[in-house]
Amino acid sequence: MSFSLNEVEATAKRATRGAGYSWGQAEEASKAVRWLCAQGLDGAEVLARLLTLGLASELAAHRPRQVDGLWQGDGELCPLSAGPLLSDSAYLLKAAPVEMRDVVAPELLLPFAANAARVLKCWVSVEIDGTLAVTDGDHLAVHGVLPAAARRVTVSQGVAPETLRSRHSRAQPAPGDWDVLNRFAHRTYAPATEESRLLGAGAGLSDND
Amino acid sequence: METEAQTCIDRRDPATVMRLSRLGSLHQCRLSFMRQLTRRMARENWSFSRPVFDIDAKGVGTAVYTAHGPDRAYSLVAFAHDLPPEKRSDRVIADAWDATFALFDGIPTQADIERLSKNVPLQEAGRVSETELSLSRANRSVRLWEHVVDALAAGRQPDLQQIYQVGYLMRTTAVYGSGKFGAADRENIANRPETSAPFQAEMLSVFLTRTFVRDLVQHMANAKGGNQAAKLDPDIAHWLGIGNSTGLGMAPFIVNHPILFNNWVMAREEAIARVRSVEAASPAEVDHFRRIFERSQLSMTWWRSEHPVQIEKLAALNADLQAISEYLDQDGLAGGHPWNRLVIWSQTALSEEGQEYLASLILEPYADLVDGLASCMADGNAEAFVIDGSMPISEVRDLIRGAFGWALDLDWTSRENCARAWYVSEEKLEPRMGERFEEPIADYEQPLAPARDAVVAHAMLSEWDDAEPVARFLLRHPEHRHTVRRAQMTRSAPYGEIRDNTIGATVVPLDMLRAKLSFFGATHFDPRSDRWVRICMYAGAPYPEELTSENADLWVYPEVPA
Repeated sequence: MSFSLNEVEATAKRATRGAGYSWGQAEEASKAVRWLCAQGLDGAEVLARLLTLGLASELAAHRPRQVDGLWQGDGELCPLSAGPLLSDSAYLLKAAPVEMRDVVAPELLLPFAANAARVLKCWVSVEIDGTLAVTDGDHLAVHGVLPAAARRVTVSQGVAPETLRSRHSRAQPAPGDWDVLNRFAHRTYAPATEESRLLGAGAGLSDND
Repeated sequence: METEAQTCIDRRDPATVMRLSRLGSLHQCRLSFMRQLTRRMARENWSFSRPVFDIDAKGVGTAVYTAHGPDRAYSLVAFAHDLPPEKRSDRVIADAWDATFALFDGIPTQADIERLSKNVPLQEAGRVSETELSLSRANRSVRLWEHVVDALAAGRQPDLQQIYQVGYLMRTTAVYGSGKFGAADRENIANRPETSAPFQAEMLSVFLTRTFVRDLVQHMANAKGGNQAAKLDPDIAHWLGIGNSTGLGMAPFIVNHPILFNNWVMAREEAIARVRSVEAASPAEVDHFRRIFERSQLSMTWWRSEHPVQIEKLAALNADLQAISEYLDQDGLAGGHPWNRLVIWSQTALSEEGQEYLASLILEPYADLVDGLASCMADGNAEAFVIDGSMPISEVRDLIRGAFGWALDLDWTSRENCARAWYVSEEKLEPRMGERFEEPIADYEQPLAPARDAVVAHAMLSEWDDAEPVARFLLRHPEHRHTVRRAQMTRSAPYGEIRDNTIGATVVPLDMLRAKLSFFGATHFDPRSDRWVRICMYAGAPYPEELTSENADLWVYPEVPA
């Protein structure tokens, strides 16, 4: 089925929150998934796969131990921690590349590298186990296949690629991935009671007047 | 002639403007989205057609209304239904309506209409596509509908008093845009001149809906009365607007879109500051203002509400109108900075309702100072979402104090200050507000209490070194990312944050609804509870075939009938 990017974004935000991430990360994850879909990549699949890993139950183990030097965690790095940190600290790239180790769903780093590119107003390249992706914030080029998990990721200031991916205004997530996202999203919904139906919505008057 | 914009009077302080009670007293103005649309369509000489009107004697069928702009066309595809009274509900959880609509991007083919006929009547349960820009529905105002059909069928004109008091034949509820239920994303149309301003597709949809409703009521009267049916007098038809019934679902919007909402408020505040800075009002400007003031009072006399709070506000507004009249008679608008003096006088002499009415009204004589600000009201600043992690912690704390300083001394552990929680219901996936200590909703709370969250972040930040970049803090505390983002947004969006508690025991969500609806250009706010409001749109406006530059703007102020 064809979904608008707003629908993808709204579902991704609720799903990420439902999986246990903070609201701020959920906002960022949803914009990231939307950005991937706009590049014609399967953002819903990547997020569904990440959320299924359940890293949010132990977030501290899956984020870089410190901002300076090599970004490595106690366990595998979660892109919803490393990605926002990359975008927050884009200024680091002016001095030296950012190196990461053991990142799951590394595709989700790309939208955050795009934020960094916008902040720095330059091309940013992300090398993921030998596959190179380059972005200026709005556009993306990917040379090769992005792996499901990466041993080494290097983010640095880059140069404009020769060909760019075409932009997309719709997304076609696979039904299975969409279901996974909706199952996580469902955890954010309060069960309805008749009381809350009336109290919460505040209406209940007849419209026959 | 261009009037030079003076900037000697500053914009009003966000700490004053962004209080909920004031936001809940806002009135439409020159910058309202409905007026932007009708001005543009007249200026660009849009034409209108009705290629399809295939409706039977029971009022069931399909109609298409097309608006032809300079570069593109937009079509309202309308489905009329025969709805039994027990199905008629203005709740968003209704599942059947008197009429359902989609705004089609272009001119639909028969196949498009066929596809839409299988989906649009289902509303949320259907799917639309990238060629649709909005999805909406409306129910009849049963009393007025029957009165108008019966009168016309019997060869008489309907009673104007009844029309003034109800204001519309049909009332819309949700008008969904921006990618909802499969429709085109806002981004698809944001770069078109005619839809770059906010909500222009939705406003066009409602404008065309009003025409459809007029045609449908005539059709039904003709079906009932046959040869003896009268044709609705165009002068009476003018007073028929379109109603809208809006509930809580809309309230979080202004919290969830701080940059966008800032741009609306800031445009209006800039307009007010420019007019207050005018050194002297010309006789023509004074005359214009006085005329609009007179006309607006007639509209106010039609504003009815049974809600105690609004009854009180209307009483105050009526007293304010009298006070303004006396001020104009005594002090007048002669002398230096007349509008600034008027505004300063209003700050102690009038209620908030009256102050905001007046602040909107003084913009009327100054199209050249005001109307250009309309181009600043969209949100084109996606970069503001990205947190600047290099910002020192001391600066983040300063920003929080700037926007949420009022909240730092509030006891957020006290029950009355956090009595409410916003959540999304499982049933209809709509935002709701509940009682935190009486319902099991706290675990599902939505981030709609930015002030409370800012206070927590502010305290946590104080444990860190002032000079550290905030990126380090956020690495450890991702739970404060949304707060730091919002605090940084206030740099470019000073009017982006509500300066009141959105979860306190006494919060009135209605104020949030009204703030948004006033920018649409809504009038006659009629609260049905503290979180549900009926409004009127386009009452007094010309119909498409009558639209000219002369009547495209000031229709919101009715001319006194001769």
